[in-house]
Formats: sequence, C-alpha cells, structure tokens
Amino acid sequence: MNFILRRLGFYLVAAWASLTLNFFLPRFMPGDPATALFARMQGRIQAEQIQTMREAYGVSDDPLWQQYGAYLVNIFRGDFGVSISYFPTAVFDVVRSGFVWTIVLVGVSLVLSVLIGNILGVMGAWKRNGFVDSVLPPLLMFVGSFPFFFLASVALFFLSFEWGWFPLRHAYTDGLAPAWSWEFIRSVLYHLVLPAATSIVVAIGGWMLGMRNTMISTLAEDYVTMAEAKGLSQRRVMFNYAARNALLPNLTAFGMALGFVISGNLLVEIVFAYPGLGYQLLTAVNNLDYPLMQGLFLMITFAVLAANLVVDLLYVRLDPRVRAG
Amino acid sequence: MTRQALQDLVVAFQAGRLTRRQLMQRAAALGISASAVGAVVGRSAHVAAAAQGDTSGLVTVATEQVATWTRNFNPFSPDPRWPTTNGIYEPLFVYNTISGEIVPWLATEWAFSADNLTLTFTTRPNVTWHDGKPFTARDVAYTLNLMKQNTALLGASRTALDVVSKVEATNDTTVAVTFSEVYTVGLYDIGTQNIVPEHIWSTVADPVNEPNATPIGSGPFGPVPVFQDQYYEVHKNPTYWQEGKPAFEGFRFPAFPTNDAANLATLNGEIDWASNFIPDIEATFVARDPENNHYWFPPTGATVHLYLNTMTPPFDNADVRKAVSMAINREQITTIAMYDYTNPSDSTGLSEAYPNWKNAEAADAEWVTNVADQANVLLDGAGLTRSGDVRQLPDGTPMEYQLNVVTGWSDWVQACEIMSRNLADVGITVTVQPYEYATWFDQLQKGNFTMSIGGSESGATPFNFFRGVMSSQTKEPIGTISALNWHRFSVPEADQLLADFAATSDTAQQQQIANQLQLLYEQHAPAVPLFPGPQWGEFSTLRFEGFPSDENPYAILSCYAPESILVMMEIKPKAAQ
Repeated sequence: MNFILRRLGFYLVAAWASLTLNFFLPRFMPGDPATALFARMQGRIQAEQIQTMREAYGVSDDPLWQQYGAYLVNIFRGDFGVSISYFPTAVFDVVRSGFVWTIVLVGVSLVLSVLIGNILGVMGAWKRNGFVDSVLPPLLMFVGSFPFFFLASVALFFLSFEWGWFPLRHAYTDGLAPAWSWEFIRSVLYHLVLPAATSIVVAIGGWMLGMRNTMISTLAEDYVTMAEAKGLSQRRVMFNYAARNALLPNLTAFGMALGFVISGNLLVEIVFAYPGLGYQLLTAVNNLDYPLMQGLFLMITFAVLAANLVVDLLYVRLDPRVRAG
Repeated sequence: MTRQALQDLVVAFQAGRLTRRQLMQRAAALGISASAVGAVVGRSAHVAAAAQGDTSGLVTVATEQVATWTRNFNPFSPDPRWPTTNGIYEPLFVYNTISGEIVPWLATEWAFSADNLTLTFTTRPNVTWHDGKPFTARDVAYTLNLMKQNTALLGASRTALDVVSKVEATNDTTVAVTFSEVYTVGLYDIGTQNIVPEHIWSTVADPVNEPNATPIGSGPFGPVPVFQDQYYEVHKNPTYWQEGKPAFEGFRFPAFPTNDAANLATLNGEIDWASNFIPDIEATFVARDPENNHYWFPPTGATVHLYLNTMTPPFDNADVRKAVSMAINREQITTIAMYDYTNPSDSTGLSEAYPNWKNAEAADAEWVTNVADQANVLLDGAGLTRSGDVRQLPDGTPMEYQLNVVTGWSDWVQACEIMSRNLADVGITVTVQPYEYATWFDQLQKGNFTMSIGGSESGATPFNFFRGVMSSQTKEPIGTISALNWHRFSVPEADQLLADFAATSDTAQQQQIANQLQLLYEQHAPAVPLFPGPQWGEFSTLRFEGFPSDENPYAILSCYAPESILVMMEIKPKAAQ
C-alpha cells in the first residue's frame, strides 16, 4: 500500500510539471497564430489584416504569468478554450473527434502487434532454430527497418492506387452516415485493414525479438529446469513458468507504448489520410494553436502517466518481489 | 493499336465476359506484360467506377490541406469552409482579374458623389436569401456597420472601413457610404465585401466565434446536407436569382491532409477542380489523361521580389539595387526554380493581372535584363571596389550578406540559390539563410534583414502594390512592424501620386497616375522584381466542362480567387457524347 501511495505522490508532481511545460514551451516558439495562418493563406489575405486576425483569435498581450494563472484556473475547470487551427471549435470537441479514430487505429494495431509479437517470441525461444526462430526474426527485422513512410506509401500505391483492393483514404466511405449498422462497421473495418496491417508488420519484429531474447535467458533459469524435472506439461512450463517472467521487460515497454497511443500515429494518418490525434498535433504545432497544443500535450502526458501507473500496479500482481520491497 | 486492344480486353473483363486468366492469356498473346494489364485494370476500374457510378452531379473540389473539417461557415472568420465567401455569400460586385472589368453582382450600379466623399450603391431587386426573405440595401448597410463596430471581423472592406464615417440605407435599393477623407480605391474593398442578412446576424450574440453551421446567404450555393469529419457537401441554391444557374448540383469536399494525398486523388481522376501546386505537371498530370486533364497557371498572383533593405548602405543607392538586379538571371530562376510556370518580371514590378494598367514605356528598362558587365560598371561607379573576388564597401567591409528565405518553400529556396550564384559573379557574397516562416516574416516586417525574398500586395488596381513598395505611409522605422514596405523605401513623389490616385474616381486619370508610378518604380528600383506568382489551377473534363483555360480565359481558375464565383456560373455537366 505504501508503495502505491508513494507512486501516486510522484505522479502528482509529474502532472504539475507537465502542465507547466505545456504552457511555456509552445510560447517560446517564434511568431503567433495570426502570422501562421497568414502563411497558410499565401497572399489571399492582405498583410494589413493580420491585426484583425489577432483580435479574432483572441491572441493575448497580457504578461505571461497572468496568462499562466488563468490557464491553471481554466484547466481545473476543464475549460481548454477554443482551438485556433480548427476555429471556432472548442478544443474539447476537436480532441474528442480525433480520439475515437486514434483509439481504433493505434489501439488495434498496438494490441495486435504486441500479442502476435510476444506469442511468436515465446514460440521462437521454445523451439530454438525451428522455423519460427530462424525465418521470422530476420524477415520481420528486414521489413521493420524500412522507413515506415516509404513502406506505407508503397503499400498505398500498389494495393490501393494501382490495384484498387483497398480504399485510398479516410476512415469510412465518404457520405456514409455513422451508425451502429453492419454497413458502417464493415466500411470502418475495410478502411482500417491497410493502415493497421502496415503498422503491425513494422512493429511486430521488435516485440518478437525482445520476447525471444528474454525468454531464452529465462529458460536457462533453475526454476524452469525444476518445473520440467517435476514433469509439468510443456504448455504450463512454457507459459506459466518461463513466459510469465520473460514478459516483465516487455510489459514496461507496452505501458510506454500504450501511453503514446494517444499521441496518434502521425505517419499512418498522413499517408492514409486517416483522422486522428497525430495530425491534429502537427496542425496545432504548425499553426501555433496554443490551446489545442495544451489540450493534446496534457492528454498525452496524462495518458503516459496513467499507463505507467497501470503497469506499476500490474507489476505488483505479476512480480511478488515488488510487493515485498 | 495495342493500347486500344488492351482497353477492349479490359472492358470485356470488367463486363464479366472474360475471366482474369483469359484476360492475361490474351494480353500475353498481344505482347503485353501482366503488370501493364494489372495497371490498366486497376486504374481504369476505379476511374470508370468513379465516372459511371457518379450520377450525383456534384463537383469534387480539393481545397485546403486538412485531415478533418471544422464546420465553420462564418464569412467574417479568418478561415471558413469553401465556398462560404463568394459562393454561399456574395459581394456587391466581382472583380475579374483577367478582363480587368467589374462584374455587377448584388449591386447593379454604383457612383461617387462629385466630391468623391460619398459612394452610392444601387442594389439588385428580386434577390432573396436562402430562407426566402428579400435582400435589400439595408442588409448591405448592416454588414458594413457590423464590421465597423467589431474590428475582429474579417472581410474585404476591412482596409477601407478606417476612413468610412457612415453607412446608411436611404431606401430598400440604395445604400450610401460616406468617407471621412477621399479614398476612391476603397470602392474595390467595399464592393467585394460579402453581404450577410440582417435578420439572421442581428440575433447572433458573438459574430466572431459564431460557427454559422447552417449558413443563410444569397449565393448560388447554400444547403449543407452532409458534414462529416473528413467529408462535406454543399448543394446549389435552387432558387438562385440568376435563372438556370448553377448548372450542376453542388460541391463535395473530401479532406486531404497533404499535397501528396490530394495529388494522388487528382491523378486517380476523382477530382474535378483543384488549386494545388503540382511539380512538372505536364508529365505527372496531363500525360496520364491528355484528353481530360488540364491546368492553367496564369502569372496573375503577387510579384515575388528580392528585397534589399534600403536603410542599409549601399542599398540606399538606386544604382546598387539596379546592379544587383542586372546580375540576376531571371530566365534561369523561372525555368529551374519555377518549372517555367511563370515568366521574368518587367521593370514596372506589376504582375500580368494589370493588362489595362501597364505602361509600356516603363516596362523594358535595362536593369531587369541579365547584363553582368553593366552591373559591374554600376558597382564600380558606386565606389564598391573589388579586392580579389569580393567587393568592398568604401570603409573596407566586404560585401557579404545573408539572403533570408522560408524553410521548405522549395521554389523560393531554389530561386535564392540561383541568385546567390549570380551575385557571386559580380563580387557580392550571398549566403542563403532559410528560416521558419514566423521568424522570416518577423525579420522582414521589422526590417531586421539586408536581403530577403518576399511577396507583394495585389488588388484590383496597382494602388495597393505601389503603396506597399514606395509609400512613406507604410514605412516604419527599423525594429517596428511594418505590414508592407519591408525594405523601407519612400519618395515624396510617390506619396503625392498615391494621394492623387485615391482622390479621383476617374479611371482614365487613375491610369495616367499609375503610368507615372510605374516610371517612378522604374527610375528608383525600390525593390528587385523577380517573377509574378502563378495562380495554380487544375481541372478534369471527365465529368464536367466550362472551366476557364488558356484558350478560354474568362476568369482565374484558382478556386481561392474571389472571382471563382464566375467559374461556378459556367461549370456544367459534360454533354453526353
């Protein structure tokens, strides 16, 4: 219990630090939102109208510490303000629209690649030099070492553009009304296949290799030999004795990755024109959209902290040594 | 021959008369590789599907680059969805850049009073808003007064409203705009202002932050039946005051997060109308479907300049600025950096948007031609002597400068690289220095630069352009933000001419003054004009026709131009063949 309390205290301090950084970092960037939009309009707005844009966006000239105070108060009231790059939508609504698709795409591909990668790793280590162990790691590492942008573009070009097997863009068919209908769900799944598959193919190698390597050293442990000597079934030794212990480092990595799910997968979103938080974050940074940046950064840091907390708690469950300490 | 045969085979395959295997066998017999067949089957399958399956009559447009759309149809906001302004809402008149003429729109007539202090518009009768209520001159007065009271509202009239003292509708078809000082060029700012209905906006509590989700305008487009994260449609106004128009059902807008994504869809035949920059367009776009894929990039955008800070010697000397200009090879810049999409600037600095205004006398000065010898003579004459390869200022400092440019604007960066090499030939060392846009723009506006590339102002008359490059009114001291006149140049003659220009409403007289302004520009070379910016525009005639082009240049093709409403009036479904 003491352990958990200490962790909670640490998370509180970390949360405050990230809140403060979220406020100050974006404001150290040169320029302001009005100039950024002016750049995007490239001559469609007269230079003398920039001041009007500043007023419209409510760009504040108050001293920074005053703005910081107002910011903290607003955060506690749950008010993140109005987004500038998605003007005049509230930050909360902008984030909510991207959140769903990020969970669908990044969540699905992360869970699948961790599951498949770990299972393949266990199998590879169990049967050294078997098929899974000798063919898959080099192949997956080969595929995984391509720049993702390139791999995704090639997949999109051939599978969607040239052969027309998959849709070229978006999360569901344009004009289809979102509903809990089979037609809509099928459209979502169909649009999900290519972006998810490319992310999984790229990520899987790392998970597999990590699991395989720790598994091999775990298999050399005395308690595994002991379990085998007791005549336990192969399955039980493989999963309950070896894999459970080998999983710990990968679990930490999974916790980190889970937190970063929220930040979206920018490259997938760009190549497949998939909606999500990654592109929103890019837009926010490019347009110096302080309110949206604050909202997104806050969500990302909190998600990472929350995921770490969950992992900490899971550790308590999986590894009895932590409980003792 | 083989191509036709392959097409026939593919058609038979798609109709189900051939299996994939039979298709491959027959194609092989014709000597066509499997991958070629695959490519044709794939591509023509979706192009055919897109063309045939599409009976909606909707024109697909690629406008902004975003991943998700925000439902904002507020014409006063900085970045509303297309076509909120000049589409859903309409101006009093439309200025046609190509013909140089004003097309009456919600106003039928306008005139200045004898003292040029009052501008009276006569509005069009029998125009109704989308909700059926009649449009009157009172709506015009309301819109202008609303903008005058609330300075955070954006619109074409913003720049003129500072000198407008009163706007009043004297009856349902007449509105009088009173100026506090004579400013006749304000006609264009006020005339192109989009008008909103008083009965709707008078109930809006906060017009700045109003998303205006269901816009009620008077324009050719209105209903928004579908609005999703990545897709929306805007349909035509069935009761538009121009009978029989528009001739198509409406627009649809899929979201494209990047230029690449938009270009892929354009190449795939899904886009009917776009305004993207496409590199090497003949090979990448036109060649894919020469019959249907077209583009038109008229050089009518703002002129791109090399700005030399005239507060920094030796660039306060016109001869030195002209010498720099002579050292530059503009042909090389337009060919290499701009893919031949534009042409070198002449010595008036004006783009091709002012055919009725250009002064031929001022256009062909020697200083816009590439004569390095003459440049050397001028530089020697200014006391900038060579020591080795590099020239020196009279006090002995070598002429070594930074040339500021925006990171990632590849055409500008390339143009700067070329200028750097050109200038090395006459003994001036120039290092190209890319900056993030915000930093670059900040230095430009505050005058913290010696050399920088940059755009310029445009508008219906050359007034804005010359006011931006030569007026003392737009000039601020170094360190203070100057929205225009970044190079900080002014001459009293220009101030006088600009004042005269704004004081008369007689076009012939304005043209005469513009001629003198051009001569003044030619004489002083306040900045170094490089090339007029092209206005990107592409279209496909697969489903629709009537777009403007080189052969039929009735208006600018770019959908960002306010006059795109003229194009919307001409687009129609392609006649059945």
